[in-house]
Amino acid sequence: MQTGTVRAAAALMLIAGAALAGQDDVILEVTGDISDGKVALDREALKALPETTLETSTVVTDGTHSFTGFLMRDLLKDLGAEGERVIASALNEYVVEIPMTDFTEFDVIVAYSMDGEPLQRNDKGPLWIVYPRDEHEALQDIRYDYRWVWQLSRLEVQ
Amino acid sequence: MIRFRNLAVGLLLPLVAVVVFAVLLTFSLTRMLEVENAMRVGAEKNMLWVFHQSEVAASRFTETAALIDLGEAEPDELALRFDILKSRVAILNDGPQRRFVEEIGHDDELDRIAAALEAMTPVVADYSPGDGARLREALKPAPAFFGRAANKAMIAEWNDLGGRLETYRAQLRQIILFLIGIMAAGGILAATLAVALRQAHQRNLMLRRSQDFSALLVSSSGEGILAVDREGRCTLWNDAMAGLIGTSAEQATGRPLAELAGFFGIAPLQAGVARALDGDSSELVQHPLFRHEATEPRYVDLRFFPMRNDGEVIGAILFLHDATDRHVAQKREAEDRDRLEELVAERTRDLDEALRRERSAADLYRNFAAMVSHQFRTPLAVADSALQRLIRRGPRVEPDEVVERANRARNAIAGLTRLVESTLDVARLDAGQLGARRVRCALTDIVRTVCTRQREADPTRRIRIFEPEDESDAVFCDPAHAEQMLENLLSNTFKYAPAGSPVSVRVHGDREDLLCDVHNEGDPIPEEERDLIFNRNYRGANSTGSAGTGLGLFMARTLARMQGGDLTLQPGGDGVTFRMRLPRFDPGTA
Repeated sequence: MQTGTVRAAAALMLIAGAALAGQDDVILEVTGDISDGKVALDREALKALPETTLETSTVVTDGTHSFTGFLMRDLLKDLGAEGERVIASALNEYVVEIPMTDFTEFDVIVAYSMDGEPLQRNDKGPLWIVYPRDEHEALQDIRYDYRWVWQLSRLEVQ
Repeated sequence: MIRFRNLAVGLLLPLVAVVVFAVLLTFSLTRMLEVENAMRVGAEKNMLWVFHQSEVAASRFTETAALIDLGEAEPDELALRFDILKSRVAILNDGPQRRFVEEIGHDDELDRIAAALEAMTPVVADYSPGDGARLREALKPAPAFFGRAANKAMIAEWNDLGGRLETYRAQLRQIILFLIGIMAAGGILAATLAVALRQAHQRNLMLRRSQDFSALLVSSSGEGILAVDREGRCTLWNDAMAGLIGTSAEQATGRPLAELAGFFGIAPLQAGVARALDGDSSELVQHPLFRHEATEPRYVDLRFFPMRNDGEVIGAILFLHDATDRHVAQKREAEDRDRLEELVAERTRDLDEALRRERSAADLYRNFAAMVSHQFRTPLAVADSALQRLIRRGPRVEPDEVVERANRARNAIAGLTRLVESTLDVARLDAGQLGARRVRCALTDIVRTVCTRQREADPTRRIRIFEPEDESDAVFCDPAHAEQMLENLLSNTFKYAPAGSPVSVRVHGDREDLLCDVHNEGDPIPEEERDLIFNRNYRGANSTGSAGTGLGLFMARTLARMQGGDLTLQPGGDGVTFRMRLPRFDPGTA
């Protein structure tokens, strides 16, 4: 009951944030099979989602890093996404199709900071899809590695 | 040699095969794990794609810089393209990518591009028209660098891939060889197993045959055979045993021995079974076996043996042999022997009797000779002297004197005749010729007759007769024997009585016998002679100087006992009393 209230509040804030945000502040667009058809989210709206932190290594860096962000499934649930896959696009037109089951089976996050530092657009920011690679052996596979989308800018639910 | 070969084939070969199997399997698994690991780790680098993306980003930025000068693009878009390009360079400077660039020797160029980008940053952030040409000029070497780097990346990656595939192939070939080895070892093991199974089957077959043979031996044995386990439960019971005990194998198997028949409950059998279970053999010979329906027992020999398996006693086996025939034969033999012994004893007795008679006859003759030399001399001398006197005196002899001398001679001769007669009587007695013809006779009559005869023979003799009053005097005896007994007794009594003293004869009786006490007033017979005086040829200490054969009392007692009576010497110091006892006449027994 309490969790439900929190979620409802978060959803309200998301919509409010989206409404208030100017065009320049939008960092993520979600389209497709969701409640409102199309949502533009700024940094504030995304920060309103429950924060989660993940320790993992990546294939493009050395050592492990601490990633902070929100769970992809939390976002999709708040937006009322109903579909089998999500098509994620990056700023450089990198497009990849991710099955919805990835988000239910694994704690896939959308990170907005790494090792306490906010991710920048001229590095891998502002958003980076991060899989808990070290926790699951199944994720240590190139077929998962290409789903790590950095400079994430758009999601389309299908 | 053959044994050794069998051992090598049967044991060594499978052992080696197992070792080879295990070693090859371990190697194969290790190799496969290595391959699996290498495949996972090695599939991550995709530098060609990174360089391609970088090149695209650089081209887009250059393009935007050109368009912005033409007024066809906004500064925001330029900033976005610049950020994307910077992010590509940042990726290239990250750990794994940077190392690859260093490997292919383009790190200097990368550093120059990064420095150029850094230098461009304020220009891009604060764009003013006309900067586009400068930006394009500054970034001119970048596409060429990304193209060369991509070229080298392709070659390096293909080399890497080719090398890796070659390694995989080599490892797979090794694994295939290992697998062939494993198959060979498996084949050897399977073959060994098949051989072992066949041998086991053959041994089983042989074992079963020998078991069948044993079972046949047990069942066809004439001896009763049974086996029990450690708890005393019957595990084997053959037909002969069933015949002997009367219990079938189905009824017997699995039940405690003592329940099967009372025979097995008795102590010696229990002890035998217990000893066998303790590991000791034992046997019982000709033990009687009573069965319900038969009253005559069978006799059986029993043998108890322990049954062992690997030195441990697992039960006991009991053999029952019917020895009834042997028992009967032995019994008959023993009976025959007893009968023979009895016969021999009887014959020996007869022979002893004959010998005794022979000896008594010899004694008789010897005694007779002694007696003749002693007893006959005096009367013969008396008769001889009387006759000599008559001859010497010749015509001068008076007629009275003739009569007197002649009578003296006759008396002496009569004494001699009596001696001869009594001797002959004893001889007849010894020879068993003196049978008693027992009839009913009156004892008082016999007493009177004998006393009268005694008085006639010697008128000086005084005899007092006491007869029973109102009492039957009938006895059951031979009257001639009774007379002789009395005569002997009276002669003896007179002989040892003081001259002129009276002798009393007293007839009385008890319930079964009539008694006749003959009493004189002579000196009592000394204690040590009392038993001896009835012996043959015994003459007492006081008999010196009187004529006698020592046969009178012996004869009298013998005759009395022949009638079923007796002759005894009564105790007491007042004279001497002999008691003659004769059975009363009983009409029932006569």
